[in-house]
Amino acid sequence: MENQTIAGSAQPRLARGIRLQTDAATGNSVLLFPEGILELNETAQDILIRCDGRTVTEIIQALAEEYDVDSKMLGDDVCETLANLQRRKLIDLT
Amino acid sequence: MTASRPYALLAEISYRCPLHCPYCSNPTQTTNDQELTTREWTRVIREAAALGVLQIGFSGGEPLVRRDLPDLVRASREANLYTNLITSGIGLDDDRTAALRDAGLDSVQLSFQSDNPDLADEIAGARAHQRKLDATAKIRAAGIPLSLNFVIHRRNIDRLPQMIELAESLEAERVELANVQFYGWAFLNRAALLPTREQVVRAREIATAAKLRLAGKIDIFYVLPDYYETRPKPCLSGWGQRYLTVNPIGDVLPCPTASSAIPDLRFENVRARELDWIWRESESFNRFRGTEWMPEPCHSCPQREIDFGGCRCQAALLTGNAANTDPVCELSPNRSVVDAVLRDLNSSTPKAFGPDWTYRINPETRPISVPHL
Repeated sequence: MENQTIAGSAQPRLARGIRLQTDAATGNSVLLFPEGILELNETAQDILIRCDGRTVTEIIQALAEEYDVDSKMLGDDVCETLANLQRRKLIDLT
Repeated sequence: MTASRPYALLAEISYRCPLHCPYCSNPTQTTNDQELTTREWTRVIREAAALGVLQIGFSGGEPLVRRDLPDLVRASREANLYTNLITSGIGLDDDRTAALRDAGLDSVQLSFQSDNPDLADEIAGARAHQRKLDATAKIRAAGIPLSLNFVIHRRNIDRLPQMIELAESLEAERVELANVQFYGWAFLNRAALLPTREQVVRAREIATAAKLRLAGKIDIFYVLPDYYETRPKPCLSGWGQRYLTVNPIGDVLPCPTASSAIPDLRFENVRARELDWIWRESESFNRFRGTEWMPEPCHSCPQREIDFGGCRCQAALLTGNAANTDPVCELSPNRSVVDAVLRDLNSSTPKAFGPDWTYRINPETRPISVPHL
């Protein structure tokens, strides 16, 4: 996977037509999009519910506080997850 | 083998269609039974959601021929399903687009036959291309996300770059570049549709490059031409594992092409049985579930839970037995069947290069009468 840098000031949002919803059968979050269903792990779920206009930096800070971990370590994971979602056109970065 | 839950329902609400594409995967012969009513479909949608389905695709034929489509979309949204319309775009005027948007339609997948109007209309067997372009504008104006679906075959595969350009200019969110798979009318027309090896190699390069170039802008999904592969596609992610199809007359199918490809399989109907029972208990859904049914070389193959032995319909069509290993697999004792087809086309004096195809004709399935909305 190529190294993808995401600006801390970018605001990730769900792309048009993508739905984040709870799967009643499992209680887990899923992303729904044309001909596709992505079952989210806990980190991805925690990131996506915070894609509400906050910046990447703010999301990382909020998660670092919640998980009680260093935001530098967490930052790479968050950026990689966002980059993957953006490549698949599931989120937009504005 | 116990059944998991299904994730997606393909609702083939009518086999009627204004286009006559020779690669259509619909059955070449259908009964004249009556299409399901609005009330019957609404029940199917609710039963599917209760079973765990998260996503519904309205397809056909052309789903817009049903005037009650917005009602079915609304019923699906009420059941919390993600709703896709898979359409030619013919019949999508301003009023219908607005009605579908208001009903909560999540996304539209619009088929194109080519970027070139004359070629597109020739393939569709109808004057359709300009109407499709008009439809994309209406979908855009309604704010509904747009995917373009191109079925790729020998006559249009060399225009892949131009097709991708069309998708860019129409600002589609997604593009499916799907090499034709040989079922239904496409199986009948295989000699006219199968691309050459040279074409396939070039197309793969173009699709791969476009996918990289457009990452984050357009999501490109390339469906491989499986005859040219050495291992089979993981068809349906396993039989009776994630998907179910309900056809226009209410037959419930593990795969949309199974009714015509596997003649000895009997399918249950939603008019007689609940969906839950059909999914869990029916012979048709259980016949190829899991790995117990597999013959060798699949049964002891380390890939058996990765490709599931490939496609049951393809095994039936090419070897006469749906339980056989998909003959696309290089380990299949029947791989020579596929190789012979490729050899006929790719030799220096191609035998299989027939220019003529048979256009799809509309089925005898009787439409329901739905009052205008």
